[in-house]
Formats: sequence, structure tokens, C-alpha cells
Amino acid sequence: MKKAVLKRDTRSKRAAAKKEVRRWIAGIIILAFALFYFFPILYMILSGFKTEADAAVPAILFHPTLVTWQKVLADVSMINYLKNTIFHVLLGTGICLVIGIPATYALVFAKFKKEGRGESLYNWFVTTILLPPVAVLIPLYITFKELNLNHTRGGLLFLYVGFHLPLCIWLLYSFFKDVPEEVVEAARIDGCTNRQLIMRIIIPLTKTGIMTAGLLVAVFIWNEFFLGYNLTTNATATLPVYMARFGQQQGQFIAQLSASASISCIPPMIFGWISQKSLIKGLTAGAVKG
Amino acid sequence: MSKIARNMKKKYPAERSFVVPACVIVAVATQVPFILTIIFSALQWNIVRPDQGITFSGLDNFSYYLGNPEFYTICLQTIVMIGAALLLCLIFGYLIALMLDCDIPGKTISRTLILSPFFIMTTTTGVLWKTVILNTNFGWVGTIADWMGIKAVDFVSYYARPLVVFLFVWQWMPFFVLVLLGGLQGIPGEVLERASLDGCSWFEMVFKIKLPMIFNHMQVALMLGLIFLVKEFGLILTTTGGGPGQKSYTLTYYIYKTLFSGSNVGRAAALSVITVVVTLTVINLIFRAIKKRRAAYE
Repeated sequence: MKKAVLKRDTRSKRAAAKKEVRRWIAGIIILAFALFYFFPILYMILSGFKTEADAAVPAILFHPTLVTWQKVLADVSMINYLKNTIFHVLLGTGICLVIGIPATYALVFAKFKKEGRGESLYNWFVTTILLPPVAVLIPLYITFKELNLNHTRGGLLFLYVGFHLPLCIWLLYSFFKDVPEEVVEAARIDGCTNRQLIMRIIIPLTKTGIMTAGLLVAVFIWNEFFLGYNLTTNATATLPVYMARFGQQQGQFIAQLSASASISCIPPMIFGWISQKSLIKGLTAGAVKG
Repeated sequence: MSKIARNMKKKYPAERSFVVPACVIVAVATQVPFILTIIFSALQWNIVRPDQGITFSGLDNFSYYLGNPEFYTICLQTIVMIGAALLLCLIFGYLIALMLDCDIPGKTISRTLILSPFFIMTTTTGVLWKTVILNTNFGWVGTIADWMGIKAVDFVSYYARPLVVFLFVWQWMPFFVLVLLGGLQGIPGEVLERASLDGCSWFEMVFKIKLPMIFNHMQVALMLGLIFLVKEFGLILTTTGGGPGQKSYTLTYYIYKTLFSGSNVGRAAALSVITVVVTLTVINLIFRAIKKRRAAYE
């Protein structure tokens, strides 16, 4: 009797151990794949710490130096591009949220004169996401040239806000929908003004959603190339434009290129890493309910 | 309740208007230029030759493209390249999402690494792959070919189209993983428990239970992926430059070339309109196909 129990016990233990081993093997396989997938980026970051001579021969082991980084950071034009990008990301994301949050609030909670107006407005916002930017480039290009808007940052900033607001609203919408209507009603009965309602109730309750939307918009603006390339001059161009030109003009300076590329992709990557969990949740929420 | 509601209306007539600034900005930035594009598409207009003036030409620009074999070639190759990329993204994205959904050690770090390319700007992707990996002298392709004692292949010039598809997949597959993973995590645990109690095999589990449950997510991933790929421009510009010849042109790149090399506003606008129509048609088709399949499963 005792023996049988013992036997069963060891058998189930062995099965558990087997399962554990299988888990570890699966984990190692996927990690190996992930490292392989990530390798180009990893190698690029490493190459930024090489000298030009070292970088000409691909190798993972080398003596790290900061020579290349010093050269890149001393490059005035590079700093100028970086400044433009930071300007667009900070202001663009900020304005998107400042306009997007009240707009989404109104879409979700406001009483429209006509039933369902909020819903159809929301659908309109979502369909504008589907419009490819090539569809609008030509008139914008001509307008920017005529009005000299390509010499200013403001014009492009306006477009970035216009193009990313729908995305922002799309992401925020499902999070706002999760706020129970009763909470909003109760707050109104207690005499909350709209501003207080948004600041004190909606924003604290939808922090994750706002974070997700903000980070995703920031990443998209940081990486936007098509409009930035066609609607700017040298003085107002952004980092993606710099990268494209670098590739065309100085493609052979691998170390320098790697260091600049690292600057161009480390910040959005960190944004992405921070927000990946809430992104999974946020995109899902937008996908299913929207 | 109705009294309260009426009171509410009186007290909060303003909240509706919160949506106005957003509407105005989005309309001015996206809708107005799009309408202008449609108008431009009926014009004969060369920007570097103002002396020729702007004349109305009706549907000439459209008929120019519809009778032009070059247009059909580029249109077809755009559809093939983007279609192939989307399909690969969907298949690999689903498989990787399945693996990351399991309870395995180190999945957070694996997920972080796999998602990274999605956050990188496309021009950096292009420049990075072209010079650091694919360059036959200084890149890894050259080095690896040296180790193996074979002559390095210049992918950029000889395999332009597969290369562009590959880079599309490398860049956008993480996005599919992101969305599909969300879908998989949203499947209630009881469903899977029931299925495994009923003796479902792994295969049935993955393709007959989990797959239909995330059709919604697939639809969103495909739609947004399609939009991302249609507007993709930096990647092609920095790697193949549309070459060799026009072999890796997409419609977006073609429009860019028509506008800036050809300076032909009317024709570029007509092409833009065609692109939008094609894109929206395809999105509609995806939408319907998935709706049908979902209905079949329900």
C-alpha cells in the first residue's frame, strides 16, 4: 500500500520534472530566436563603441572606445536634427493628448443632439487612420512650398498632430468606455465641472490608457519619415531624414553610422519596452471593442 | 432620472464641443488635402514648368495609367510584395505569439527583444541592414561568406524584391506579435481547460480553438499592417532605392518619383487616388473574408 503511493508519487514527480525540462528547452529556443532577431540592433549598438578601423571588420569582441560617440555628438547638424525631432515628439504628443483626452471624453460621455452622433464621429476618426499619407502629400507639398512652411517647424507639427490624433483617440476610446457611467453621473450630480471631472476622475482612472496612447504617439512621431522627408528643408528636417541622408552620403563610415543610428533608435525602443505590456492591453482593447 | 438628465443637459451643454478642435485639426490635416488631391488628379500641371499653366484634363491622368503597362507591373508587384509580407507576418507572428503566451522561463526578455524592431525608424532599419549586415565588404554577409569560402551575394542588387519583403517582415512582424499576443491572453482559461479535458490535441487546440477566437485581432493586425506597409517609403529609399530599375517600386514610391522626378502633379495625384482606392478595397475584402469565417465558426 505504502509502496504504491510512493511509486505513484515518484512517477508524478518524474512527469513534473519532464515537463519542467520541456519548459526550459522551449524557453531557450525562443530566447535564441529572439537574440538572433535582435542581433542587428545589438551589433549596431556595439559598433558605436568601435573605431572606424575596427568597425570595418565585423566582430563581436573588440576594445570599446568613446571616440566615435564624441565625434557624432560634436556634429552640429546631427544635434540640430535631434533637436527638431525632440521638439516634434514633445509638443506633438503633448498637444495630441491635450486635445485628444477631452475629445474622447466628449465622444464617450457627452449627450449629442442626435442619438449615435458620438459613435459615428468616432468611426470617422478611426477611418482617417486608414488614409495613407501619400493621398495627402501633393497638396501639402505645394502649400508648404508656397507659404514657406517647410522653413518652419510649426507646419509639420500641425500635420503630426492631425495625423496622430485619430490614433490617440482610437486607443483612448476603449479605456474611457471602461469607466462606469454611474461614476461620471454621480460626479456630475455632486457638482463637478467638466474640467474637474476630466482631471480628477477620468485621468486617474485611465492612466494606463493615456500612457499607452502617449507613448505610441511619441514613438510614431519620432519615427515618422514620409512627411518629414518631403515637407522640410535642411534646417527643419528630423532624425529619420538625417539617417536616410547619412546612408546615402557616408554609408562607409560604419562606426559613425552605428552611433548615430543608436541615438535614433534607443529612445523609442526604451519607450516601447516600458509600454509593451500596456500596449498589448491597449491595442487589444481598441481592437475588440472598436 | 429623466429630470436629472434634463438638468444635466442644461448644466453641461459645453461638453459636446470638446470634440470640435480634434475634428477641425484632423479634417484640415487629412481630409482637406485628400479632397485637393482628388481635384488635382483632374489637372494637367507641371510644377517646374509654370509657363505651361494649369489646365483641366478630365480623366486623362487616369486613362494614362490605365493604359500603361508600367503601372500594372508596379501595381501588381506592390500587391505581391505587401501581400507576401503580410502573410509571413501573420504566420510567424501567430507562431511566436503562441510560444510567448506559454509559461516558459525568460519569456519577458524574449518578448522584449522580439518586439524591438517595431519601435525603430524605418530609415535606420534600411541603413543598418544595408551597410552593417548586407554589405559584401564590411558587413556580416561578406564575413560569413569568407568563413565559408564562398563569394558573398549582393542581396541589395540581385534579390531586391525578396529583400524588401524580408525587411518588411523583420520590421512589422513584432506588431503582429503584439496584437495577437493580446488576443491570446484574452482567451478565458476555462475554454482551454475544457478543451484539454475533452482530449484536444495540440494541433486542434492551436488551429481550431485559439485561432478562431482571435480573428478580431487578426483583422486589426492585418488592416493596420496593410496601412503601415502601403505608406512604407523610408525602407525602400534607403536600401534598394526602388531598384534595380523599377523592380522594388511600390505605389507610394512610384508616386514620390512621379512628383519629384517627373514634377507631374496631376499624374501623381491620380496615382494617389488609385492607391487609396486599391488600399480601401483590399481592406474591405479582408474585413469581409474575416467576417465570413467568423460567422462560420459561430
